Amino acid sequence: MDNAEFDRLLKICRIHLDKSEYQSIKKDVDEILEYFKILDEVDTSKVVEAFHPIKIPEKTSDDTIQEFNNTEGILKNSKTYRFYVVGPDL
Amino acid sequence: MNSYEEFSKKDKPTDYFIKLSEELSKLNEELNAFNVISESSKINKFPISVKDNLCIKDMETTASSKILKSYIPPFDATVVSKIRGKNNFSFLGKTNMDEFGFGSFGVNSEKCPKNPFNTSYVSGGSSSGSAIATSILKYHISIAESTGGSISTPSAFCGVVGFTPTYGSVSRYGLIDYSNSLDKIGIMARNSNDIRFMYDIIKGKDSYDTTCVDVKCNNENNKTIILIDELIKGINPEIEKSFLELVDNFSKMGYKIKHKSLPFIEKAIASYYIIAMAEASTNLAKYTGFKYGFKNENISEKYNEFFTTSRSNFGKEAKRRLVLGTFVRSASVKDMYYSKALKTRTLLINELSKVLNEGFILSPVMPIKTPKFDEINKFSPLEVYKTDILTIPPNLCGFPHIAFPYKYLNGMPLGAQLITKHWNDYAIIDIVFEWENNFKYNFKYNLGSL
Repeated sequence: MDNAEFDRLLKICRIHLDKSEYQSIKKDVDEILEYFKILDEVDTSKVVEAFHPIKIPEKTSDDTIQEFNNTEGILKNSKTYRFYVVGPDL
Repeated sequence: MNSYEEFSKKDKPTDYFIKLSEELSKLNEELNAFNVISESSKINKFPISVKDNLCIKDMETTASSKILKSYIPPFDATVVSKIRGKNNFSFLGKTNMDEFGFGSFGVNSEKCPKNPFNTSYVSGGSSSGSAIATSILKYHISIAESTGGSISTPSAFCGVVGFTPTYGSVSRYGLIDYSNSLDKIGIMARNSNDIRFMYDIIKGKDSYDTTCVDVKCNNENNKTIILIDELIKGINPEIEKSFLELVDNFSKMGYKIKHKSLPFIEKAIASYYIIAMAEASTNLAKYTGFKYGFKNENISEKYNEFFTTSRSNFGKEAKRRLVLGTFVRSASVKDMYYSKALKTRTLLINELSKVLNEGFILSPVMPIKTPKFDEINKFSPLEVYKTDILTIPPNLCGFPHIAFPYKYLNGMPLGAQLITKHWNDYAIIDIVFEWENNFKYNFKYNLGSL
């Protein structure tokens, strides 16, 4: 992977690496991607993806409103102003 | 009799729980098994610990990550609710782990957990703290979680029994996700009776988790053990010798031993890590420095800088997996990596299911002896990933498996692993029970003995 592609990924992930981390993680990523090529040998032309290891009934939860009595508990984990979560500038 | 029944029947001195809490806190300073230990006043029934990626209402839950520091869940995970519903248990605390479950040896945690048999050795990961807690406490069951071997490996290194059930049999509501199609909540204990006892409590359908299905677990045992040649080749010679002694013992217990060759199994590592990293990279996107745990106080920073500063709290392994996970699911290469890995999993499930219809797969848990801390530094990340070859296949394919001690070599426990087909969970628990009639487990500590 070239440096430009690596930098693009860091930006998407919102990750900053210092110089030594950059070099060591870049080297690891190259080595690991090279290893992943082992799957090129597998013929999957007539195979479907296993999104789960077992068959999951494709039934979603009922769309019903339930009362939740601990809104304060959720807000306790954030910096708040009145009843709003405070975040960064857009 | 399970530990709970034994514990309940015995009289306890009035200061029993206070003493237990004091002794545990003191030993924890040395071993780093727990991230949080409950106040002694709250420990008054059979003690249970919970891996730090499962939510307990009003108890700090961090998945051993700095980015979740101070996160207090306002709700219980379903497994916690189910245990709480029985009203006979105390939650002793939250156990240490590799950050978000990213690790095989337990070393990706700020406070490095140490092996209770010898503190120069690693405890295994990622459910390191749960294995240590079970190894040091006489009456104890720990709720752990496995993605690619996070129950089997620490169980083997710390000499306890570790059970990973069929994918989908235990609700994952309230679990801090690592990889949604791989995560499984399981159990660590000092014997198979305790595993069965707790599995009966935590399994079953949950309306909060649509991937949790209600299928009756079986107990089919055709008394056949299968050794996969590709899983045995290349393991440490001392482990191989000890493991073959175990195979002999199973033969004496009346099991027929069969050998099979399954070269395709070597593809499991790549398939697993691609899926795990891709799913992890989406799950970690929500940690941005203002909703959970760590708070970035500098809200005047611009949007992108704010998130980048906040996310510097991830450890090195988390950053590595974020980059790789984001890459393998990129639109331009998705078919080459992520989709290919999912299809390879389909093939592996089919191949392994055929083998498991003929019997139980038995193997060591790890191809290497328990490493010392100074040996781990010599491994590259890829070399670490490759050591998971024995635990990844059942985890990738969702097959139930159980790790159990079978020998003590130079004072350290060795663990073996039994794998069975989907929903045959009770069969492997019963086989370990059968093994326990022939082999006595050793523990260095027995805190809380009566």
